[in-house]
Amino acid sequence: MPKRETDDEILARIGLDTLAATEKHRTRRAFRTAFFFMAPAVAFVSIVLLFPVLYNIYISLTKWRRFSGFDEFAGARNYTRMIDNPFFAEALANTAIWVVASMTLPLAIGLGLAILLRGAPGEGAFKNIIFLPRILAPTVVGVLWFYVYAPDGVLNRALGVATGREVDIGWLYQDNTVTGAIIATFVWQSVGLVMVLILLGLAAIPRDPIEAATVDGARPWQVFRHITLPLLLPTLLVVTILSVLAGFTAFDLLWVMGVPYPGQRTLSLAVFMYFEAFQKGAWAFGSALAVVIGIVVLSVTWVQAAMQARIDRMTK
Amino acid sequence: MKHFIRTFTSAAALSALATVAMADVELLHDKGFWSEALEAVGDASETSTGNRLVQTPYATPEQYKAFVQTSAASGEMPDLFTWWTGGVYEELIASGQVASMDPLWEKMIASGNFDASLRDFYSVDGVAYGIPLHLSRWIALYNTDHFETAGITEPTTWEELNAAAEALKAAGITPFHATTQDGWRGFIWFQEIMIRTNPEAYAGLHDGSVAYDSDAVRNAFQIWSDWYAKGYFTDPRSNDEVGDFAKGEGAIYLIGDWAVGIVEGAGMTAGEDFSAFIMPNADPSLPSSSILEGSPIVMSVSGSENPDAMAALEFFTSVEGANAWAAASGNAIGNANAAAPNAVVEKINADVAANGTIAIGRWWESVPAELQGEIVAEFNRFMLDPTMETAEDVMATVQALNADYWANL
Repeated sequence: MPKRETDDEILARIGLDTLAATEKHRTRRAFRTAFFFMAPAVAFVSIVLLFPVLYNIYISLTKWRRFSGFDEFAGARNYTRMIDNPFFAEALANTAIWVVASMTLPLAIGLGLAILLRGAPGEGAFKNIIFLPRILAPTVVGVLWFYVYAPDGVLNRALGVATGREVDIGWLYQDNTVTGAIIATFVWQSVGLVMVLILLGLAAIPRDPIEAATVDGARPWQVFRHITLPLLLPTLLVVTILSVLAGFTAFDLLWVMGVPYPGQRTLSLAVFMYFEAFQKGAWAFGSALAVVIGIVVLSVTWVQAAMQARIDRMTK
Repeated sequence: MKHFIRTFTSAAALSALATVAMADVELLHDKGFWSEALEAVGDASETSTGNRLVQTPYATPEQYKAFVQTSAASGEMPDLFTWWTGGVYEELIASGQVASMDPLWEKMIASGNFDASLRDFYSVDGVAYGIPLHLSRWIALYNTDHFETAGITEPTTWEELNAAAEALKAAGITPFHATTQDGWRGFIWFQEIMIRTNPEAYAGLHDGSVAYDSDAVRNAFQIWSDWYAKGYFTDPRSNDEVGDFAKGEGAIYLIGDWAVGIVEGAGMTAGEDFSAFIMPNADPSLPSSSILEGSPIVMSVSGSENPDAMAALEFFTSVEGANAWAAASGNAIGNANAAAPNAVVEKINADVAANGTIAIGRWWESVPAELQGEIVAEFNRFMLDPTMETAEDVMATVQALNADYWANL
C-alpha cells in the first residue's frame, strides 16, 4: 500500500509550500505592522482605562483603612453592605427617575423643536439660542439655576408678578419640588444638543419616499408616522443612548444644586459613590458602587446596541 | 580673570549658604480662605527666624483628606499639615506616622504663654500630637442695635434668653439666625441646645452610649421645634449667613469666633455694631461652658527630623507668631501673652476667665466621621420642616445609622 502524502508534501510537490510560507510571512508582517500602529492606542487605553477599571474592581473586594490603605481581602462584603444601606435603595430609585426623565423629556422636546424649527423662518437663530446652554459647564448651570430657584430668586418673583401675590417656594428645599426642579435644569441644558442631532438626522432622510407618499395623498402625520420616524430611528437611538448615560452618571447638577451632604431626594448613584469615597473616605465601598454603576450602564448600553443592530437590519 | 572667578565662586558659596539658612518649610492645609493670612505669617517667620513658612492650600477638604490619607498609606506624609480634632484626629494618630509634640508643648507651657490644660485638647492617651492653628469658642454674636431696640441686655440665664427672644420678636426682629447653607450648619443649634440642657447625654452621643432617639435628644428637638413655632429663627434657606446678619436679619448669630473677622468684612464693627456672649445653660447647676473648636497643625514623624519644621512651629506659637497670625486672620491660638485678635474675642476671653467657662468639643469633630454627613443632612431636613413629627422621623433615621455604626465597629 503506497504511503499517503501529507498536506505539506503535496504542497511541496506542486511548489506551493514556498507560496504558503511567503503568505504566512506576509500575514505575520502585516500583523506586526498593525500591532506597531495600534500599540500606542492599546497602551493608552490600557493605562488610562483598563488598568484603573481592574484596579477599581480589586479595591472593591478589599477592606480599606483610611491611613494604611487596603489591608485585607473582604470578598463580597462591600457589595452586601449596599443591600443593607438604606441610602443605596434611595439612590437607586432616584437614579431610575433620572434615567427615565433624561431619556424621555429631552428627546420629546428636542424632537418637537426640531420638527417645528426645520425650514422655519429664523431657524438658525433659534437653533443657536436653544443650543447655547449646552456650551456652559454643568457646574456653572447648577450655580446659575440655584439662584433662579432661590426663595427670593427670579422664578418666585416671576410667579409673583404673574399671580399678583407673594410666592415663596423653596424649589430646591422641598421634597416634592427638588427633583423636578433639577430635572428641568437638566432638560434646559441638554435639549439643544438633542434638537441639533435630530435636525441632522432629519436632513439625512431622502426626500423621494416623502414626496411619493405626499403625491399618493398621505397626510403630514401619516408621512411622519410611517416614513420620517422609522428613518429617524437610528438617530433617536443614538440620542437615547447619550441621554441614558447622562441619566446614570447624573452628578454635577445634583451636587451643586443639592447640598454637599445630600438629602434623600438628591442622592443619585453617582452622588452616593462620590459621597462615600471622597467625603467619608470609604474607598472600597465607593469602588464597589462604581462597579455596580458600571455594570448597570454596560447592560443598558448592550441592550441598546442590540436594538441598534436590529434597526440597522430592518432599514437595510 | 582669576579675581573674577574667585569673586564669583565666593558669591555662589555665600548664596548657597544663605539658601540653606533660609529654608522653606511647607505647611499643607485645606483652608484656602486663610491663604493670605498664612502668607503674612510666612513673611513674619522669614523676617524673624530666617525660615519661611510656606503655605500650600488644597482646593477642597475632600481632596485634601484623600491626599493625606493616601500619603499615609504610602508612608510619605508631608512634614507639616493641618488636620481636625476628634475621631479623625485619633484615626490619624493611630497610623503611627504623626510625631509627638510633647517637647514643643513643654517649651510652650514653660514660657508662660500657654496654659497646661490646653495641651489636653490636642492629646490622645496623654500625648499631644498637635498645636493649635486656631482656637475658636462658639459664641452668640449679637446685633447691639437690635438689643437696644428691644430693650434687652446679654442674657445670663435660660429664662433671660427666652425673654430676650420674646422681646426681640415683639420688636419685629427675628431673634435667632440659622441656615442650612453649605450643608454642614445643621448641627449648630442642635449641639448648643444639647450642651445647655444635658451635656452628659451630648457626650454620650459621640461614643454610642446615648441614642439619638433618647429623651435627652427628644427634649432638645422639642425646644428647637418650639422656638421655630414661635418664629424665633430666620429662614433656613438663606444662602448668605454672614450677609444676613450684617443686614440685621437676625439678632443672635451662633458661630465660632473665627467668624468675627468675616462679619467685620461684611461691614460691621466688632465691639460697636456687634458683640458676643456665651449662651447660658437651661440647668443653672451646670458649669458655664462653650463649644471649643481647634484645628491642629500636626507634624509627621519624618517632619520631626527636620529642625526647620520645628523652628517654624516654635515661631508660630511664640507671642510674635501668634500676633502676626491674629492680625492677619483674626484668629487666636491660645497664647495668653499675645494680643486678642479683636474686641469680641477680648471680651469673651474676659468672660471665660470670670466665669470659669469650660470647653466642650464640637459635635462635628466628636461624632464619627462616617456619620457626619448623613446626620447633618437629617438635621437640615428638620430645619426645613421643624415640626415634632419631622423630628421623630429624623431621630429614628439618625439613630438607625448610629446604632448600625456602633454595632459594626
